[in-house]
Amino acid sequence: MGSGLGWVAHSGIVQGVIIGGVFAFLTATLVLNLVARSQTVTVNGWSSVPRVGQPGLGILTRSALAKALPAVNVFEEAAYWTATKDAAGRPLRGDRSYVLRFPPGQQPPNGAFWSLSATDLVGYMVRNDAGRSTVDDRAPLVANADGSVDIRLQRTAPDGPAQNWLPTPAGPFKLMLRAYLPGATVVDGGYRVPAVEEVRA
Amino acid sequence: MNRLILKYATPITVVILAVFAWVVYSRIASGSGILVLAVTAVIVWVLGTAAFIWFWPRMIVGGFKRAILARGLGGGPIPVNTLYAEPSSSSSSASTGSLLATGTDDVLYVGGWLDLSAGPQVLHVPEMAGRYYSVQLTDPTTSANFAYVGTRTTGTAAGEFAIAARGWRGDVPPGMPLITAPGRGALLIGRVFVADEADQPAAYALAQQLSLSPL
Repeated sequence: MGSGLGWVAHSGIVQGVIIGGVFAFLTATLVLNLVARSQTVTVNGWSSVPRVGQPGLGILTRSALAKALPAVNVFEEAAYWTATKDAAGRPLRGDRSYVLRFPPGQQPPNGAFWSLSATDLVGYMVRNDAGRSTVDDRAPLVANADGSVDIRLQRTAPDGPAQNWLPTPAGPFKLMLRAYLPGATVVDGGYRVPAVEEVRA
Repeated sequence: MNRLILKYATPITVVILAVFAWVVYSRIASGSGILVLAVTAVIVWVLGTAAFIWFWPRMIVGGFKRAILARGLGGGPIPVNTLYAEPSSSSSSASTGSLLATGTDDVLYVGGWLDLSAGPQVLHVPEMAGRYYSVQLTDPTTSANFAYVGTRTTGTAAGEFAIAARGWRGDVPPGMPLITAPGRGALLIGRVFVADEADQPAAYALAQQLSLSPL
């Protein structure tokens, strides 16, 4: 008995279990991240995962989406898009100014509401002087002459209507747009969120 | 803590791998055999990868379960088969990391853990009068949202919905819809729309009226 335990202690089997277990965790993480990426649809810099939370997914897909988006609504209930890059593919940053222009009638189709928020890259809101990190469809957004609506994304208040301004964090940031009870064109992929354009002074 | 792990995942991983390399190197250098370690590591690696992938949804939803039952959503632990409504939506101050810190201030969250092993539960919904709400039921083994009660699926009128584990035999009262859960446990997440700060008390009053009782 004593020699058996001694063999276990000196054979390297314990180290083998630890090393193999950590390698298994890292491998599973890499595989699931790759699968989650393959399930992500990116259009105009906006990424969404239409199959999240659906029943009947395969083992790999359901695990990958549980890891990437835990306990998130199914797409028919709430569509979520995230963006970390502008139209030119450059990372969104708080020291730059951007505009998100919805053409006339092209705000996210929904049966409940939509909202747009700016967070740090992990997904947490960052306190700012304006006291908010969201623009939504309850505020009467001011339209341009042609009926389009501009959302201004920058750290300091822009010229123009304050309700169309989304205050952004100082460093690199992430945008999240959500449409609850998304319209049929969202669910079937026909609706495209416009790209975020940098505004150069 | 989770946030720190997320932020420093790469350096943490590098340090762990460096320790492993040192362990292997010192075994070789000291003349101890490396064969048992290598064979064990490969076997555990292969089986472990499959196991991690298979059990990942359980780990995730199990994390929600432990958090709900042990810590709650801010109002203390939430016992099984009870619901807790968060009084306020997450705001810029929520960066301390609420369980449901998805950065939205459009909805009030309601959370709870269903244990159907002693029989079905009845979900009571107040008259929402057109207000958007949803109650999501998530299977802990697959993390699939197997059923919804709410504006999209059942409307906004007051109602009662029986939730039973698969295999339960019995009768529900006439007219009461029956939702069958794939297993005996389920994560419940409710969301009640809140238009703005002035609307918050009304939304919270409704969120508090979402409740469970035994059938």
